[in-house]
Amino acid sequence: MSESKAIHERKHIWRDEILLIVVMCVFVGIVYALDGALKPQFTPSTLLLTGVFLALVPAFIWLVFFYLQDRAEPEPKGFVLGVFALGGLFAAAIGIPMTDGLFRVSHWLYTDTLTTILGGILVVGFTQEYLKYAAVRYSIYNSDEFDESTDGVVYATAAGLGYATVLNINFVVSNGGVDLGTGIIRMAVVALAQAAFSGITGYFLGRAKFESEPVWWMPLGITLAAIFNGVFNWLQGTITQPVITLSGSTTPTWMGLVLAAVVALTTTGVILWLVRRSIKSLQAGK
Amino acid sequence: MNKQGSLGDRFAEITVILVTVIALTAGWFYKSGLENASVPFEAEGISAQAPKGWLNYEPSGEELFRTVDRYSSGFSTTYVIRQIAVTSEATTSEVASAVALGHAQDMLGFSMLDQQEVRDVNGRNAYMITYAYVESNPDVTHAAIPSVVRGADFIYVSGERAIVVSYQADEENYDLDLGRFYRFLQSLDFS
Repeated sequence: MSESKAIHERKHIWRDEILLIVVMCVFVGIVYALDGALKPQFTPSTLLLTGVFLALVPAFIWLVFFYLQDRAEPEPKGFVLGVFALGGLFAAAIGIPMTDGLFRVSHWLYTDTLTTILGGILVVGFTQEYLKYAAVRYSIYNSDEFDESTDGVVYATAAGLGYATVLNINFVVSNGGVDLGTGIIRMAVVALAQAAFSGITGYFLGRAKFESEPVWWMPLGITLAAIFNGVFNWLQGTITQPVITLSGSTTPTWMGLVLAAVVALTTTGVILWLVRRSIKSLQAGK
Repeated sequence: MNKQGSLGDRFAEITVILVTVIALTAGWFYKSGLENASVPFEAEGISAQAPKGWLNYEPSGEELFRTVDRYSSGFSTTYVIRQIAVTSEATTSEVASAVALGHAQDMLGFSMLDQQEVRDVNGRNAYMITYAYVESNPDVTHAAIPSVVRGADFIYVSGERAIVVSYQADEENYDLDLGRFYRFLQSLDFS
């Protein structure tokens, strides 16, 4: 493994992340507007299929951008898709059964603010972030293809989007389909948030592999991602609470998307700054 | 620069697992603490520790207490305590038959699953009936598919009154929520 690889920065990753956020927001706007204008009528099965299709869109957008721009030094397509699939598999086989079945979070998580935050961090946050970490750590991490510190962000984002896709498909299937307008917003929020939290884990993974970090480095990464996950979950629930007015009630679902986009953009910005700082420090010490 | 497979890497990996296990264990204890939290209920000489955070309804007719878990999926898990006036000669099986008949009239698709004399979690003699029915929402525009509800009634006769303690839950949650109901039943005191 050459040192020059570790201090190389795959610059288009940041473009991909930002494009994912922007295009997701535009896509949501288009679907929402079309739903309002056309008011399509669905049969139960077409509603279900449409929901599943929409659940795949965020990952599809990110993967398209990634492959279009990853030409100079391409990551093996199979590896990125494999980690994406592994993230989804872990969500379906372990994550969802654990949070929904074993911990039954929907029965107690929203009892009060403290419980929403604590339960969101300790149970939902740690389960999701550990599984996304595991999808990278026990697959590509030890491979020679994981040869740049930014690869941590790439593969963790792929795992995060895989996890988000399965969460969204599970939501669609368990509800027998979703309302097109609010459904696409929910899916975009889940995808952007999961990708953002994975980015944090990915940054820590990248540095853990190529720099001499202390033993608490990686646990700190997972814990930070879990805290972001739990706090985001609470914030989203708070700002999207239905508002009762004299003319009726409204649910500001759009605010959830705004929050997710801001969190994703901020996280990407902070990770970009941290990665560049780390590369500069490595170059200075070369 | 790449330190894969190093001792430090192994330690870091184990530490991640440890931290995750500790967090999940703490989450489990927090969840259990919430589920075991209770609030006292007392009326007509009957007392119990009801689950905290559930929706309690005002007493109505024979019904002294009704509490509903608003967060349970499908049909909301419900505990009910009723007091029925009976003659001093009435047996628990006679009261149980009357209760079952009442359910058959009120509940859509009512089906008796089992009935037997039992000793409850406190060793008291009781008559238990278990049943199932379909949640019937009278709102014809209600879009949701009806839920299959499973229920269990514990019937006690004490002097000239019968106390009926009911547990009703969505079929999917029935077994999972049963342990908590037994704790509620254990706290029941009508002596």
